[in-house]
Amino acid sequence: MALLELRGVTKDYELGKTVVRALRGLDLEVRKGEIVAIMGPSGSGKSTLMHILGALDTPTGGEATIDGQDLQRLKERQLVTLRGKRVGFVFQTFNLIQTLSAQRNVELPMIFQGTPKRARHRRARDLLEKVGLGDRVRHKPNELSGGERQRVAIARALANDPEIILADEPTGNLDTETGEPILALLRELSRRDGKTVILVTHDPDAAAIADRIVRLRDGCVSAEGRAVSEEVGTSSLGDDPERRREGGAAGAASPGDGPEGGAAENKEGSDG
Amino acid sequence: MGKLGDFLQLAGQSIAHRKLRSWLTVIGVFIGITAVVALISIGLGLDQTIKDQVSKVFGVDTFMILSEDAFGAQSRGGDMNEFALDLDYLKTLDGVKTAAAIREETAFVRGPADESGTYQQGFLPVMGLSPELTSEFTSFIGELEVQPGGRLFEPGEQNVAVLGHDIAERLGVSVGGQILIGGATDSELTVSVVGILSQAEAQPERRVGFGASIGPSPDEIYVPFETMTELWGSADDVFFALVRTKEGADVDEVAARVEEALKARGSKITTVTYSDISEAIGTMTSTVSAFLAGIAGISLLVGGVGVMNTMFTSVLERTKEIGVMKAVGAKNSHVMSIFLIESGLMGLVGGIVGTVLGLGLSALASSFIGRFFGVDMVMVISPLVILYTLAGSFALGAVAGLWPARRAAKLPVVDALRYE
Repeated sequence: MALLELRGVTKDYELGKTVVRALRGLDLEVRKGEIVAIMGPSGSGKSTLMHILGALDTPTGGEATIDGQDLQRLKERQLVTLRGKRVGFVFQTFNLIQTLSAQRNVELPMIFQGTPKRARHRRARDLLEKVGLGDRVRHKPNELSGGERQRVAIARALANDPEIILADEPTGNLDTETGEPILALLRELSRRDGKTVILVTHDPDAAAIADRIVRLRDGCVSAEGRAVSEEVGTSSLGDDPERRREGGAAGAASPGDGPEGGAAENKEGSDG
Repeated sequence: MGKLGDFLQLAGQSIAHRKLRSWLTVIGVFIGITAVVALISIGLGLDQTIKDQVSKVFGVDTFMILSEDAFGAQSRGGDMNEFALDLDYLKTLDGVKTAAAIREETAFVRGPADESGTYQQGFLPVMGLSPELTSEFTSFIGELEVQPGGRLFEPGEQNVAVLGHDIAERLGVSVGGQILIGGATDSELTVSVVGILSQAEAQPERRVGFGASIGPSPDEIYVPFETMTELWGSADDVFFALVRTKEGADVDEVAARVEEALKARGSKITTVTYSDISEAIGTMTSTVSAFLAGIAGISLLVGGVGVMNTMFTSVLERTKEIGVMKAVGAKNSHVMSIFLIESGLMGLVGGIVGTVLGLGLSALASSFIGRFFGVDMVMVISPLVILYTLAGSFALGAVAGLWPARRAAKLPVVDALRYE
C-alpha cells in the first residue's frame, strides 16, 4: 500500500500579481520502505513537491495523502503533528540551530513532541552514535564539518522515529567524499530500518542510491523508472551499479566507518 | 507544561548567544526600572520617615482637638483658631484617659518693683497649660527645661507661673518673685514665678508642623490652666487640646464620640487622630511618588520599545531557524512561547539589575536626604515592590515581545525555510 499518494496535485503561488503554477496535476505514489529520488531542473517543482510530501504545505488542487490522511482536510495544527511525528527533514544547508549543541539539535523535535527529558537525552545520544558522532554530542554546529553537520541533521530527522525521511539535496553542499557516507546512511535507513526515503536532488550520484527515480518537468512527472535502468546508457553514470554496491557496503559498515570519515571531513573543513 | 523548562532553556541560549545586543537591550530596560524602583523606594521611605516622626510626637493612642475651621479657608499662616472647650467634661468622657489643653490670652502683666521702685509692665502673651502637657504629653511641647533653682508647676497648683527666659529678663523677675496678671474685667492675680525656662532649651531644634507653635518660647508666660480659668473664666479661647485614650480603646472611635459630644455642647471643634494624619501624609507622599514614578515610567516605555526592536531584529534574523523549528514539529504556540519567554527574560534580567541598582540608589539618596534634613531617613525595602517590579519587568518584556513573537509564530513554514 502506498504510504504517500498524490493524485492530480496542483499548487499555485501568487507572486505579486502573477500566479505561478508550480505543480500541474502531479501523480505520485511512494511505498513504504522505498527510496525515491526526485530529479528535475530548477523550477520544475521539486521543492514544492517536497513541501507537500513533508506536510509543510497543502496542495491547491488534487489529492495528497500521507498514510491515508488527506492533507487538505487537515488543520494547521494537525499538519504540524503529522510532520512532527511522521516526517523527518534533511536539508541541503543542514539548517541546524547554531546556538544549540549537536545533542540539543537532535533533541529539538522531541522537545516539541513533549518527550520526557531522560528518554530524549538517551535517544539523542543513541542517534548521534548511530550516525557516527558519538564523540561530538556537545559540539556546536560551527565546530563541526559539513559532513558532520549533515549527519547531525539526519540524526535530528530520526528523532521522533518518523516513517518518512525527506532529504532535499542532502549532499548539495558537500563534496563527493563527504557526501558518499551521507548517502550510504540514508540508504541504510531504508534497507535496515525500513524508512521511506525521498531524495530531492540534482546529483545523479545521489539519485543512484534510489530504488526509483522520478523526473519532474514543469510541475509534472516527466519520467519515472528504476534507478539503474533509467540511468543506463548515460556515460557519466556508467559505473552506477558498482557505485550503488559500494554505497550499500559503506552504509552497512557505517558505524565503524563513521568516526573515521568524520575525522577526514574535519581536516577538510568543508563549508556549510 | 514540561515544555516550559525547555523553552526557557532555548530562549536563554538564544539570549546568551547574542550577548552584546541582549545586554544593550537589558540596559535599556534596567535604566527605567532603576529609576522607578529608586523613586518608589524613596517615596516609601519618605512616607515612613514622616509617619515615624509624627507617631513619635503623637503616639498612636492620642488625638488632637482643633478648631473646626483649623483646616478651612479661614485658617491662615500660623494663627490658630480658638474654640470653647470644657476640659473637665472632656476628661469624663468614655475612653478618655487624660486630656490637656492650651489656651492663650494677651494680658496686662506687671513685674515686681526694682530698687528704684519702677515696674516693668506691658501686654504680653499668657498661655494656660494643663499640667498634663508637661507630664503626659511632653512630646508635643518638648521637654520644658527650667533654669537651676526653678521648677515647673505641678498638677493642682494654682497662681504660679513659668516664664520664658526673655520675658523674665524684661520683667526683671527671678524665681520666687511675683508678677501681676490682669484678667478679664478687673480680675487680676498675683502669681509666683516658680521657674524660668532655660535659654538653651528655648532655642534648639525647631519643631516641624503643629509642634512648632506650641513649643517652648522665650516670650511667653505659662500659667496653669486653672489659673487661666480664674482670670478669664471658662475656656473659650482654647486653640489646641490633646486627648489620650484608655489602653485598648479604638482611638478613631473615641475621637469620633468625643467630637460628637463636644459639638453637642457647642464646641466648634474637630478631632485629628494619628490615622487621619498618616492618611493625609500617605495621600500626599504617594501622589508625589506616583507622579515621579510615572515620569520614570516613560523611560520604561522606551526600554520596552527597545525590547520590541531587538525582538523584531531577532525574528527577522532567525526566520530560517523558525522555519526549521516548525518543520521539525513546533506548533505556532511553541514558537510564540519561545520568543515571548526570550523577550520576557530580557525584561526580567533588566528588572533584577534595575531593582538592585534602584534600591542602591534609593539607599544613597536616603542617606543624603537624611543628612541634609537632619533626620533618620527610613530605608524601605518593600518585598511587594520588588515582587511587582520583577513580575512587571517580565511582563514588560513579554508584552514588548508579543508583536514580534506573533509575527514569528505566523511565519509560513515554507517561506521561512526559504528565507536566506
